[in-house]
Amino acid sequence: MAVDQLLYVYVLNEEDYPANSVIVKEGSKGDWMYVILEGKVKVKKNTPKGMVTIGTLNEGDIIGEMALFDPVVADRTRTASAIADGGPVKMGVLDTNRLLKDFESISPQLKGLTRTLVKRLSDTTQRAVNLAMK
Amino acid sequence: MMNDKAKIPPIARLKYKKGDLIIKQGDYGISIYKIISGKVRIFSESGDREVPLATLGRGEIFGEMTFLNRGAEARAASVKAAQDSELEIWHPGRLSSEYAQMPHAIQYIVTQVLERLVRMNKLVAQITAKKQEDSKMPAKLEESGASQRRYYRKKVNLECVYRPVGSSPKLALHGKVKDLSMGGLALEVRPKNALNFSHDKGDKFHLNMMLPNGKKFTATTEVLSAKNDPTLGTLFMGMEFSDVSEGDGRTLGFFMRT
Repeated sequence: MAVDQLLYVYVLNEEDYPANSVIVKEGSKGDWMYVILEGKVKVKKNTPKGMVTIGTLNEGDIIGEMALFDPVVADRTRTASAIADGGPVKMGVLDTNRLLKDFESISPQLKGLTRTLVKRLSDTTQRAVNLAMK
Repeated sequence: MMNDKAKIPPIARLKYKKGDLIIKQGDYGISIYKIISGKVRIFSESGDREVPLATLGRGEIFGEMTFLNRGAEARAASVKAAQDSELEIWHPGRLSSEYAQMPHAIQYIVTQVLERLVRMNKLVAQITAKKQEDSKMPAKLEESGASQRRYYRKKVNLECVYRPVGSSPKLALHGKVKDLSMGGLALEVRPKNALNFSHDKGDKFHLNMMLPNGKKFTATTEVLSAKNDPTLGTLFMGMEFSDVSEGDGRTLGFFMRT
């Protein structure tokens, strides 16, 4: 198990995805966070010129971290698609409520900093995609 | 959980007048700022130009990049007060110890976000540099004379030897010709070449190279534009031919048609 034990205790459920299937679809509703337990995941974004891959994630990597940015937003939409890359993938559904509770316990400064970083990541990713498409 | 707040010592607040410089690009500052009131403008300085990056308002945080690299790298952009503003100033040292103490799972996620952000920033810098190389330099060549526009430009990657006009014929500087047209070329060199010899607009160089078809080509060129790209560690020059012999002109013309 490549996934950190201390994170594994947050896994509520395990889901299996066959090769090349869609785990999370960009634009769909959902605010669960996942951790990759086995396999590789491609992260893709839609552009006017078709889908572009913005990264490949491996075991232990998290998806859905935007939920930390502004936990009060209901009906969050996914900002990227995650697709099982090549082989089958096992995903761990994380206890997002518990993570958000943990998040609430940290200092306001650190919370602000974390949200800024999550927001910057999202903005920078979009900027990279826009630049690459120009 | 709520008593966490009590453990935090008072945080400095500073007032800035509209137009005040808060962060200077290139400095080695370590503080992180939060906007209590007012607005700030973030911009990068390139030469004497200011490239606007963002305007931030109340509640927003900036200077957070020092947290990523622990102040080891210079500030990547400058920040000025766009209005009279009040800012909270955080010392990253205390944030670091808080960071070390936060719940493990949150730390795990934030560390990943940090790593991805560093990677994405690098990617944006790479794409931007590549775009400049691909589009800006040939565009500058075009500006040099309308007559050049009718010439087709070829992407190449040719080793060449060059030296400033008036220098010893024994001198041999090395560079790579990245594109070639009947009117000029784009030359990429190591910035250290420019330590001993000026590589600025208007400078002239003798240049010779072997074309991919095995023919030798010699010309005298004049620099139209020179741009240092620190991310790639290269100096990129747009040059126009100021003197080409008839024979070399024919050689080039033959190569450009094939």
